[in-house]
Amino acid sequence: MDRYYRKKFLPLALPALILFFLVIIIPFVVGVIYSFTGWRGTYFAGGEHFWEAFVGFDNYIKAFKSKKFIDAFIYTLKFTLVAVIVINIVSLGMSLIATKLRHAASIYRTIYFLPNLLGGLALGYIWQFVYEIIFSKILFAKDGLISIPALVNMTQDNTKALFALVILFTWQMAGYMMIIYTTGLNNIPKDLPEAASIDGANAWQEFRHITVPMLMPSFTIVFFLTLSKCFMLLDQNVALTDGNFGTRMLAMQILRTTRDGSPPDYGLAQAQAVIFFVLIAVVSLIQVSITSKQEVEM
Amino acid sequence: MTLGKQKKVGQIFSHILLAVIALSTLAPLVLLVINSFKSNSEIVDSPVALPTEWSLKYIISATEQINFFKSIWITFAITFISVLLLVMVSSLSAWVMVRSKSKLAVFMYLGFTAAMLIPFQSVMYPLLDIFEKLGLKNIPGLIIMYGGFGLSMSVFLYHGFIKSVPQSLEEAAIIDGANIFQMFFKVVFPLLKSITVTVVVINSMWIWNDYLLPFLVIGNREGVKTLTLELYFAKLTSGQYGNPWELIFPAVFVTIIPIVILYIFLQKYIVAGVVDGAVKQ
Repeated sequence: MDRYYRKKFLPLALPALILFFLVIIIPFVVGVIYSFTGWRGTYFAGGEHFWEAFVGFDNYIKAFKSKKFIDAFIYTLKFTLVAVIVINIVSLGMSLIATKLRHAASIYRTIYFLPNLLGGLALGYIWQFVYEIIFSKILFAKDGLISIPALVNMTQDNTKALFALVILFTWQMAGYMMIIYTTGLNNIPKDLPEAASIDGANAWQEFRHITVPMLMPSFTIVFFLTLSKCFMLLDQNVALTDGNFGTRMLAMQILRTTRDGSPPDYGLAQAQAVIFFVLIAVVSLIQVSITSKQEVEM
Repeated sequence: MTLGKQKKVGQIFSHILLAVIALSTLAPLVLLVINSFKSNSEIVDSPVALPTEWSLKYIISATEQINFFKSIWITFAITFISVLLLVMVSSLSAWVMVRSKSKLAVFMYLGFTAAMLIPFQSVMYPLLDIFEKLGLKNIPGLIIMYGGFGLSMSVFLYHGFIKSVPQSLEEAAIIDGANIFQMFFKVVFPLLKSITVTVVVINSMWIWNDYLLPFLVIGNREGVKTLTLELYFAKLTSGQYGNPWELIFPAVFVTIIPIVILYIFLQKYIVAGVVDGAVKQ
């Protein structure tokens, strides 16, 4: 039987292979090569062909010396750190409360999940309005409901905009992550918490020693999803601040590098893109290996 | 207080908390709806009030400005064809990879999964360069790109699912004289329904809402823009002097209506699809 399928293997897998090579592998390899050249988009600085335009590690050195790139790098790390923590706490809290409910839990889930379906650009525009008009003029202004200067003009300040983006992204992602946590919570055998309470464990002990270890597979998934989505965030970043006030994250930095100078420095942009890939690959591999080690075998 | 009473208080408290979160989830969307019926000055002066008159004026002019009926059709066609391509290509290749059990198949599968770590930004510039040289910087090219980018995830999902589908039915089909395509489409594919729903949901959501790829491939070309692109350029061109809220609100409103309607009817499948896709990673 295996031989029957092996004979058909290539013709059936061929469309997938062609797409994969054409769209991912070849551009990826070309991209790594071009990151070592003076690529300008439509031509190469220093020669007609790419092999005549090699510049060694110049683009990488330029990238690490570029203030814009370093700023975007740090801003992305800061945003990811804060957003991953906030999204996880909020969504886990929501699902812990909702799983204890006897009625209506599914209605809440339906509502919470809704923002995740909508495009980042559209959501970014709505939230820009919320921050600029609702927050700044009605709720938290000096003569508003309560005066909280930290929540006024959040899209016009580097640090405030970071938290504006965190709020927006938590609003969008929490419902989705909550459902993953809820699936995990429902998979915990009911007799475990019961046994614990008979043994006299309080709510915190039960959470710490039963819920958390049993929930490790869900933690792995949610951390992986939030980490990668935060690192690669683009649409919301464009819509909310468009990178003004030093709020460019890495994805936008790579996109805008080719517009920052003339002639457009595609070689530099590509070097940044390769660094971006290494960063994402390393972080996700470390994260998955750490959290999967924590998973309990049942 | 008795234990039963304590539990009841706890339930009420939980409901209040979750209802507050639900309200804050819906609040921005409610703002979106009520402000889609107001003029710019009315929006800025009284953003949380109901409109003084429910006139469709702003919605109609916004649909004209973003060429709604044309762009929604383009977005739908792109999404539909890309997802169809993805489902066909990834289910067939995942199936034959699982069944043939060869070293090449294992190697290919590893390649597909490893590629999930490659972010879009790392390939976009060379990709555009190559597609431009091939004369594919257009909608067919865009569909091919979606086919490539959605492939890893879809192959991964199908591969995991097909491993648990018994092979005996296929053997019976061969004995009955079916050729390999008949066997796949009549015997195997119907068994993959639940994972196909997941693949369709995940990919359509992403492709429908995508901004960057159409921006890079189509840009500001007339008459072929997707919904998201129309929205972006509408805001960009009319937003040079402050934000044109009387355009943005109704425009965003009409672009999300189709998704919300779909969500109301297909909620069960959408949520299950998205969560399934995540959990199987």
